[in-house]
Amino acid sequence: MIVKIENVTKAYNKTPVIRGVSLGIEKGERIVILGPSGCGKTTLLRMVAGFIHPDKGKLVIEGKTVADNGKCIIEPEGRQVGMVFQDLTLWPHMSSYKNIEFGLKAKKIPKTEIREQIDSILEKVQMIQFRNAYPGDLSGGQQQRIALARALVTRPKILLMDEPLSSLDTDLRGVLMREILRLQEELTITMIYVTHDREEAFSLATRIVVMKEGEIQKTGTVSQIKEWL
Amino acid sequence: MKMAKRVTLYITIFLFAGIGLAPVVVMFFKSLFVDGGFSLENYGVLFQSNREWTLLFNTLVLAGATTFITVLLGVPLGTLFAKTDLPFRRFFAVLFIIPLLIPSYILAVAWFYCMGRSGIVASLLGETAGIVTSNFLFGFAGTLFVMVSALLPIVIILTMTYLRMVNQDMEEAGRIYSSWPVVLRKITLPLISPGIALGALITFVLTLGEFGVPSFLRFDVYSVESFTMFSAFYDFSSATATALPLGIITIVVLIIERLFLRKKTFVSRTMGLEKKKAVVPLGKYKPYFLIGVSILVFILVVVPLCVLLCKSLSLSAYVEAFARSAGSIMRSLLYASIGASCLVIFGFLLGYILDRKALRLHYAVDSLAVFLFALPGAVIGIGLSNLWNTSGTNFIYASIPIIIFGYIAQYTALGERIMAATFPHVSHSMEEAAQIAGAGWYRRVFKVLVPLVKRGMIATWLICFIFCLRDIGITMMIYPPAHDTLPVRTFTLMANSPDNIISALCVIMVMITLLPLCGLGLVRKYVT
Ligand SMILES: Nc1ncnc2c1ncn2[C@@H]1O[C@H](COP(=O)(O)OP(=O)(O)O)[C@@H](O)[C@H]1O
Ligand SMILES: [Mg+2]
Repeated sequence: MIVKIENVTKAYNKTPVIRGVSLGIEKGERIVILGPSGCGKTTLLRMVAGFIHPDKGKLVIEGKTVADNGKCIIEPEGRQVGMVFQDLTLWPHMSSYKNIEFGLKAKKIPKTEIREQIDSILEKVQMIQFRNAYPGDLSGGQQQRIALARALVTRPKILLMDEPLSSLDTDLRGVLMREILRLQEELTITMIYVTHDREEAFSLATRIVVMKEGEIQKTGTVSQIKEWL
Repeated sequence: MKMAKRVTLYITIFLFAGIGLAPVVVMFFKSLFVDGGFSLENYGVLFQSNREWTLLFNTLVLAGATTFITVLLGVPLGTLFAKTDLPFRRFFAVLFIIPLLIPSYILAVAWFYCMGRSGIVASLLGETAGIVTSNFLFGFAGTLFVMVSALLPIVIILTMTYLRMVNQDMEEAGRIYSSWPVVLRKITLPLISPGIALGALITFVLTLGEFGVPSFLRFDVYSVESFTMFSAFYDFSSATATALPLGIITIVVLIIERLFLRKKTFVSRTMGLEKKKAVVPLGKYKPYFLIGVSILVFILVVVPLCVLLCKSLSLSAYVEAFARSAGSIMRSLLYASIGASCLVIFGFLLGYILDRKALRLHYAVDSLAVFLFALPGAVIGIGLSNLWNTSGTNFIYASIPIIIFGYIAQYTALGERIMAATFPHVSHSMEEAAQIAGAGWYRRVFKVLVPLVKRGMIATWLICFIFCLRDIGITMMIYPPAHDTLPVRTFTLMANSPDNIISALCVIMVMITLLPLCGLGLVRKYVT
C-alpha cells in the first residue's frame, strides 16, 4: 500500500470538516475522490500533500508515517508528491521552463540533466513550442498542461490533482482527460484525483471514493459506483 | 442622464487641475520671465556653485539611502507580521505604524532630547558622549535614521497588504519541492514585487519632499533650501529655481514607475474573498525573531515616544502647552476635517473615473494626482501662494481656502487610489440595474454607490485626515497669519521654548491623531 489514511479527522474553528476517514491506496491506482462542493475533498488532498495536518489519526506514505495525531513528521517537500491545483497556479514571474525547473533544482540535479528532463516532459505534454512562454501568454488549457509537466517532472510517487480541469472549457476537458490517462499509464504513477464531476470520475478512475460531509460514503470500481448511484 | 455624469466628472477634473496643477504651471512660466521679458536668468544660477551640487547630491543620497534601508527592513518585517506565527505580531504591527501618524520631525525632536549635547545620553555618560551622539544625529546619519523610522510603516503596510492578496496555492505549489525560506524568496517575494516597488517609490518621493526632519537636523536638501529662499528671503525666483530640480526628479521617478511598474500586476485579485492564507511556522527560530523585532520596535518607536512622554511629564508643562497652542489644536482638527472631507469627494469622483475608465482622460488625471502627491509640499506651497496672492483673491490667500487647496493638491492621489481600489468590489451590474430602473446618475451615486463603498470612504477620510493633520511641508509654506496648525506651531515654537513644553506639544499631537483612530476602533468593535 503506497498511501494509508487511518481514521483521520480535521476541524476548522471547531467545525469538523473531515470526520474519521480511512482509506488505503495501492501502487499504480487511479483513485478518484468524488463528492459535492464543500464536502472536504480539497482538505483531504492538502493533508496528503502536507500543507495541513490531521487533528487526529495517522497518515502513512510508502511505509513512512508522515503525520500522526496533529504532528507533522515529514514536510511537503519530503513527501515526493506532485500536485496540480484547481486554480491556475503557474508562477507568473517565471517562464514555462523555469516553472518546471523549480522542483528539479530543489532536488539538486545537474544542469544538463535538468534540461533533458524538462524538454522530455514538455514533449510529453505537447508543449515544447511554449518552452519559453510566460503563463500570462498561455491559455488556461496550456497552463494546466505546463502545471502537469511541473508536477510530473520530478518523478513523484503520487500525483495529486484537485479538480485540475474545472477552470477549462468543456471541449478541452475531454482532450486533457485522455492525456492525463495516457501519461499516468506511461509513467505508472499513483494518482489521487479530486472532482465533483461524475463523468470525469467515470472516465478516469480505477476506483472511486464517494465523499459526503467529511465522510467516505462508498468505495468501489466504476461499475459498482455507477450501479450504486 | 448621461449629461449629469459627464458634467460632474469634468467639473471635478477641472477643479482639481485648477487647484493643483495651475499653481505649479503658472509658477514655472512666471519664473521664465524676468522684468517682463523671456529669460532663463533665474535658472542661470542653477548648478553654478558647489552648493547646488551638494544640495542635489544630499537630496538624492538621502532619498536613495532611506528607500534602500526602509525596504531592507520593511519587507522582512511585513512578511513576519503578515505571514508567520510570530507572537504578538498584530501588536508589533500597530506599534511600527505609529510613526507614520505623526509629523516626522517629532521623532527628530525626541532623538534630539535623547542624543543632543545636553540630552539624556550626555547626562548619563558625560559631555563627550553627548558630543559624539549629537554629531551623529545632526547631519546625514541622523536624518537618515529618523527618516527610516518615519517611513518604515509605509513599506510594512504595503508588504502586508500585497502578501494578503497572494494566491496561497502558488506558494503551496512551491512547498511541494522546497522549504518555506526558499519559497518565500523565489516565489512569494517576486509575486509581491510590485507592492515592494510601490513602497520604495512612495518612500523615495516622501523623503524627497520632507522638510521638517532635514531642516531640524540641519542636513541641506532641496526642500529646506526652497523653503528658506521663499520664506526667509521672500525670493520667489530663487525659490522656484531650487524647486525645479525637485520637480524634475519627481517626474523622472514617475516616468520610471509608469514604464516599469504598470504592467507588472502579478498578484491575483482575490482581495475581499478572505482566502485562507498559508502561515509560515518559525519553529525553533521563533525566539530569535521575537527578540530581533522587539529590539527594533524598541529603538525605532518605543524610545522616542517614551522620551517625549517622560520629558513632558508634569501638569504645568501641559497647561502651558495648551495655553500656547489651544487655537492651533482646534485649527488643526478643523482644517484636517475639512481637508479630509474634500478629499473624500475628490477621491470618490476621481477614483470612479480611474476604476470605471469613465472618461478618456482617466490616465492623465491619475498621472496628475500622483505627480502632485509626489511633488514636494514646498513646491506646491510656493506655487499656491504665488498664484493666489493678488488683491482680488485675498479671501483665498489670506484664509482657510489656501490651506485646503494645499491639502487637495497634495493628497488627492491618496483618496483617488483608495477609492479606485474600492470600486471593483461593486459590480457594474448593480449600477446598471439601478440605471435600468430609471434612476438618474445622482440617485445612483447616492443610493447605490455610496452605501456600497461606505467603508472605503471612511478609510479614505481617516487616512486623509491623518495626512492633513501631520502635514508640515505645505502648511508651513502657505499658512496665513493666525492660521497656523499644531505641527507648524510646534515647529516654530521649538527654537525658543523649554523642552518640556515642546515635548508636551508633541505628545498632544500624537494624542489628537491617535484618539480618532482608537475611537473608531471602539465603535467598530461594539457596532459589529
Ligand atoms: N482554511 C479554512 N478555514 C476554515 N474553513 C475551511 C478552510 N478550508 C476549508 N474550509 C471549510 O471546510 C469545508 C470543506 O472544504 P473543502 O475541503 O475545500 O471542500 P471541497 O474541496 O470538497 O469543495 C468547507 O465547508 C470549507 O468552508
Ligand atoms: Mg475543493
